[in-house]
Amino acid sequence: MLTVHRVSRLFQEGKAGFHHIDMQLTKGEVVGVLGTSGCGKSTLLRVLSGLDPQYEGTVTTDAVHQEEAFGMMFQEPRLMPWLNVIDNITFGTKKRTKQKEAEALLKTVGLNGFEHHYPKDLSGGMAQRAAIARSLLHQPEILLLDEPFSALDAFTKMQLQDLLLSIWERHETTTLLVTHDIDEALYLCDRIVIMRGQPGRVESEITIEQPKPRKRGDAYLAGLKEQILQELDFTKV
Amino acid sequence: MSSQTEAAVSPSVKQSDKDKRVRLPFVRNKALLGSVIPVLLIVIWELASRLGWVAPHLLPAPTTVLGEVVSMAQSGELWGHVGITLYRVAAGFAFGAAAAVVLGAATGYSKIANYLLDPMLQALRAIPSLAWVPLFILWIGIGEASKITLVAVGVFFPVYLNLTSGIHGVDRKLIEVGRMYHFSTLQLIRRIILPAALPSFLVGIRSGLSLGWMFVVAAELLGASQGLGYLMVFGQNTSAPELVVASILLFAIFGKLTDELLKRLQQRALRWQDSMENAS
Repeated sequence: MLTVHRVSRLFQEGKAGFHHIDMQLTKGEVVGVLGTSGCGKSTLLRVLSGLDPQYEGTVTTDAVHQEEAFGMMFQEPRLMPWLNVIDNITFGTKKRTKQKEAEALLKTVGLNGFEHHYPKDLSGGMAQRAAIARSLLHQPEILLLDEPFSALDAFTKMQLQDLLLSIWERHETTTLLVTHDIDEALYLCDRIVIMRGQPGRVESEITIEQPKPRKRGDAYLAGLKEQILQELDFTKV
Repeated sequence: MSSQTEAAVSPSVKQSDKDKRVRLPFVRNKALLGSVIPVLLIVIWELASRLGWVAPHLLPAPTTVLGEVVSMAQSGELWGHVGITLYRVAAGFAFGAAAAVVLGAATGYSKIANYLLDPMLQALRAIPSLAWVPLFILWIGIGEASKITLVAVGVFFPVYLNLTSGIHGVDRKLIEVGRMYHFSTLQLIRRIILPAALPSFLVGIRSGLSLGWMFVVAAELLGASQGLGYLMVFGQNTSAPELVVASILLFAIFGKLTDELLKRLQQRALRWQDSMENAS
């Protein structure tokens, strides 16, 4: 679905960003990118989404609509404050044709009854739900998630992770999830890519065999977490 | 905001919040509260005139002023003056604001236009606007056009400045959302930049209007044969302070009315804003 070949994007004379990243995603796969801060994982998403065109290397997709292959969800909801929830979800589309789908998505993310609320009246979790619905409305073939739940409290985070799982079950969207939350990556992803260093490189890859939905306190996942922590080894720079 | 847990996702939670708000009946009536001090001052003023504390040929009593306004209204003389002044403000406001929208949008959005035009406009802004009067009169004569131009100059700068700073202040993160959807430049402007800059633009429109009123007085004081400003000069020359005070009063009323109109518009347009005003 997505092939990333020797892609580099460097800042500050090569001291930040990432260098020679290779990555492949098959259709329907959920891949997590874990890494310490400053290893360029958010930059990687900006490059893939087209927000940052100054990179080297090649990014290819076999999406039907190349232009609209990627959907992106940011760390913050980034809703338009002057639009109500339903208008935010249909933002960037021709509203009339998508109205039905938008209403269905509103139900999926559990915001029915809030169509006409403005973002200022939403809690952080509700705003992020609206953002999920907005990014899904375009039916992107590849969904890029940039630490989507890092600003939420633990319980809201778990609710939204389960929401993502149910959405994947239905839509089978290929997803690249950047996160610094190891538990989140283990709970949601089929495969985890670990990045480290400045500039960041792919350190290793872990495939999680266990089928979803998984148990959060699972012993197998706990073992993998131990392994990842060792890989990341925060003491060595 | 971000650390709230969603215990229950249902709209009923919000509504019960609203009912719980404590309301004091007197404090709630904003119009009543706002008129307490002006009414008190007018009563004191009336008393001062009646009791002879101030000389009536310098400061006539409010009732005398009101009587003057009523008699002018009855004779029909008043409407001509009010009408022409309103026309000058409206026309000047329209021209000034329109020019400011075009130039402000250009310098706000395009870097080249900003480098090209902004220094010049800032330099022109440094000229006290009344300094233009002799030049305008020389160029376009003493008629309506020079007065309207002067009002337009007054309206232009606040609108221009607030619009450019509003556009410059638009959150880059929101623009990125538009870029994710492959918006064209025009779509970016129309769907993200303009709505996001609206609060600042409306502040500019309101201060532009109040400057417009200021400049119409200046224009009419300096050379007019009709209008509220002319009425003031006339009152001064004929030693009729009630005429001057009546004109001031009318300026206050119309200035306040037009500003109120814009304020209502602003509140309606900015209901979405997460501000003190909307918190209530």
